[in-house]
Amino acid sequence: MTTEQFFISAWNWNPWVIAICVATILIYAARNHFRLSQKFGWLLAGIIIFFLTLASPIDALADGYLFSAHMLQHLLLLLIIPPLILLSLTPAPVPQNFQTGCWRWLNWILRHPVANWFLGVGGMWLWHAPMLCNAAVSNAWIHRLQYVSLLLMGGAFWWPILSPWKKQRIAPLAGMIYLFSACLGCTVLGIIITFSPVEVCSIYLHPVDRLGILPLIQNQWGLTPAKDQQLGGLLMWVPACLIYFCGIFGLFARWHGEVRDEVIIPDSQPKNLFTEKSHGH
Amino acid sequence: MSEAASTFNAIETPAAASAPRGLFSWVATVDHKRIGILYLLTTLVFFVMGGVEALLMRIQLARPNNTFLSPDAFDQLFTMHGTTMIFLVVMPTLIGLANYLVPLMIGARDMAFPRLNALSFWLLPCGGLLLHFSLLAGGAPAVGWFSYAPLSETPYATTSGVDYWTLSLLILGVGSVAASINLIATILTQRAPGLTIRRLPLFVWMIFINSFLVILALPALNAAIVMLFIDRHLGTHFFAPANGGSAVLWQHFFWSFGHPEVYIMALPAFGIISEVVPVFARRPIFGYEFVAASTVAIALLSFGVWAHHMFAVGLGHPVDLFFAATSMMIAVPTGIKVFAWSATMWGGAIRLTTAMLFAVAFLIQFTIGGLSGITFAVVPIDWQVTGTYYLVAHFHYVLFGGTFFAVFAGLYYWFPKITGRMLSERLGKLNFWMALIGFNTAFFVQHFLGLMGMARRIYTYPDLPGWGLLNMISTIGAFLLGASVLILLWNIIVSLRHGKPAGDNPWQAWTLEWATTSPPPAQNFDRVPPIRSRRPLWDLAHPENPDPIVGGATARDGFVLEKNRVGIVSFLITESVFFLMLILAYLYYNNHDMNGPTPTSMLNPQRTGIYTLCLLASSFTIWLAVKKLERKKHSAFRWLLMLTILLGAVFIIGQGREYLRIFHEGVMVNSNLFATTFFTLTGFHGLHVCIGIIALLILMALAFAGDFKQGRIEAVKSIGLYWHFVDAVWLVVFSVIYLKLLL
Repeated sequence: MTTEQFFISAWNWNPWVIAICVATILIYAARNHFRLSQKFGWLLAGIIIFFLTLASPIDALADGYLFSAHMLQHLLLLLIIPPLILLSLTPAPVPQNFQTGCWRWLNWILRHPVANWFLGVGGMWLWHAPMLCNAAVSNAWIHRLQYVSLLLMGGAFWWPILSPWKKQRIAPLAGMIYLFSACLGCTVLGIIITFSPVEVCSIYLHPVDRLGILPLIQNQWGLTPAKDQQLGGLLMWVPACLIYFCGIFGLFARWHGEVRDEVIIPDSQPKNLFTEKSHGH
Repeated sequence: MSEAASTFNAIETPAAASAPRGLFSWVATVDHKRIGILYLLTTLVFFVMGGVEALLMRIQLARPNNTFLSPDAFDQLFTMHGTTMIFLVVMPTLIGLANYLVPLMIGARDMAFPRLNALSFWLLPCGGLLLHFSLLAGGAPAVGWFSYAPLSETPYATTSGVDYWTLSLLILGVGSVAASINLIATILTQRAPGLTIRRLPLFVWMIFINSFLVILALPALNAAIVMLFIDRHLGTHFFAPANGGSAVLWQHFFWSFGHPEVYIMALPAFGIISEVVPVFARRPIFGYEFVAASTVAIALLSFGVWAHHMFAVGLGHPVDLFFAATSMMIAVPTGIKVFAWSATMWGGAIRLTTAMLFAVAFLIQFTIGGLSGITFAVVPIDWQVTGTYYLVAHFHYVLFGGTFFAVFAGLYYWFPKITGRMLSERLGKLNFWMALIGFNTAFFVQHFLGLMGMARRIYTYPDLPGWGLLNMISTIGAFLLGASVLILLWNIIVSLRHGKPAGDNPWQAWTLEWATTSPPPAQNFDRVPPIRSRRPLWDLAHPENPDPIVGGATARDGFVLEKNRVGIVSFLITESVFFLMLILAYLYYNNHDMNGPTPTSMLNPQRTGIYTLCLLASSFTIWLAVKKLERKKHSAFRWLLMLTILLGAVFIIGQGREYLRIFHEGVMVNSNLFATTFFTLTGFHGLHVCIGIIALLILMALAFAGDFKQGRIEAVKSIGLYWHFVDAVWLVVFSVIYLKLLL
């Protein structure tokens, strides 16, 4: 099989993925009366990348062949798609039952940047524990759980920066430290993966060649398992940090673009979701 | 306000200092202005020493096959020249300038922690003397400023030069970190009303970002140096390949500090240029936001490019590829700055004072250095020219043509403020032209020598066509440059005595330091002018045409911070990086089987787990203690404090017993790499626990003396935070070392 043939044939037309993509776009468009706006553009970008992550040949490669392709998926799901979706949200009025039950719990998490930080960075570390990493490749359900959890943890991570409710965002300087420390967190993991002589995800060491593309990958592309892991580590180390850096520049631009400095009375409690409600109605 | 406004035209002779006089008053001072001056004077001495070292090398290299210096003397000279210029001149000069100017520019009375400030300064002469003491103790270090292992290990560096090098750099590192923590706390908490972060002068902004670079990068060097020192004195194996250590790890550790260090030496210089250029072009800086943001970009990217110093090591194609890409990327924010400065001058009413001349020369020379820097990002070119004089030319264009020219610009610009007298412009212009010609003569030809293949750090060279001539030209340039420094010194001495009185604002500049007298009084300001934009003195002088108000009329940032908290958090950030390095070293060496003791055979995770629980419980008790103190329940506070100390002591005793058990098995720190990394990591953690216990004991003594009844709760909170940090580090260490054994 040639590279070209592979990239044409290895698409995975999973009906669930297509259904989720179409449904999300339709619901979003319907709620916004089918108006085209910048926010709709963000959503569209997020959904397209989501589709490419799960249906394109990247998925086929990540499925047992290449650790680096898996890492690319991981980064897209955790660091690219959630912020794009968050950017597309409008600060809608909050539902009545937000202060009860599990909503309350969710609300607590969303208001605590430290918890969000650990969800975002922890998500990255957790799924690269050798045991879980292997399990996610060999078991389809754990694999799906991984996708969903990465999206959710990504959403939680970006919430203090990109929340549609301004009051829930953290101060710009704090946000920069938040993102930079997250970059350090994934840098450390990236360094360990890049330079570790031990396989992080041993399952990628001996792929089961279902599609008959192993010779293509190892001979033509020159991606031996050792190089593959190095590449995966580097993806986590360098581009992942660049994504955080983009977040920092976005914050900076937003901060300096604001006409007025936000003044919060120093000893007031952090605002939570229901104070926003009064504005909504 | 009228007071301040009247200062624009009044030119008076410098006021007689009312501050305490005499030599001892300078030794005992905690005034940031005096400390700043002490910094600048000390670095001037070291600058001359480093310069003389450079000239000696240039004499040796003036002719092929020269025998003026022995190879060993040459090695010592280039090591001392590099170390001196970087750690004893550039960094402390920039810190000294920041020390003098930042409080003035933000309308503060002093730094946030004046006594810490004095400590940071006095560590500088201590470190400098220690480094030079090696000359009397068997010879200076001769291993290059980056002390590559294994050359710096005991078998190859047999004199005690490297030991003095490590100790001195450790002391200087601590001093720089302390100064940076102080600057962060000062900028975040001591600003005058109205001076929001968005209105900060760019110099202050860059010092602020730079201070984060220092506290994040220096601990990486400190950790590496500590390991090297332990290697040399306890016979361990971190970087000694004979016993499984890795020389490449030293390079990683060193350059993960070393590359940010390049920007630590450049960012404050950018700050100086961002102040000097607008004032002498009579226009506000073009694209303030872009200059500020590109500073952040440079700082961030600087942590992700260090492997470009190691292309020749052979890290593998994927690694080279990624780091080549990020290294090229860093040219973008730097380019934005160069464009912003050029655009500021475009159409401005430029006054070519000496300061402005140096700034313009900076722009050109720094751009040349930057461009040759980009060529190093191209891996094959790097392989070709790394370790040659092309590299020497490149970093001298960045550091001398860039940073030093900026410092000279800053010196001519702020000297009137510091001393109350102008530097002579006539001598200044002579100084400038000689420096410009001397510098470019000395270093431009080195590009060619490097491309011809002349290797750096070799004491002489064969008589190949053109080499002798180019080297002679370079040497002549170096002496011209040296002479220009003598003129600068002469200018300073003459102007101090007979210089024209400066008045408060000789350049009609716009930032706050020019609103007070020259030299400023001990308290800096009697009153600070109102601040609504980035150029408060412009607004004051031109009420009919003020700058647009920045950030609304609110005059406040969206946060209020307390200086002790900022100080301790910054300190903990720098400590985290130190521990991170130790943990990475442990992980690096313990992921494969080795001979001798192993974690499985030596450690008992269950028993240590119990002690771990004690330590975690102590985190809870100190948290509760702070809560009690907040509610003014003093006796409960004391009991909880005591309980915390007790739990901490139990942990330390537990760790001591584990050490003893391991010693009984005949295992020492130098047994193998497991023992080396295990003892270093847990030992440093234990040391931190002990320091924490001492701090808690002091708190307890103060508590029994009734010290916290009138407040000062911040001290308790800070120690509490430190204690939580020590516990959190142990959680990570425990997971890394012990938890693996349980799974």
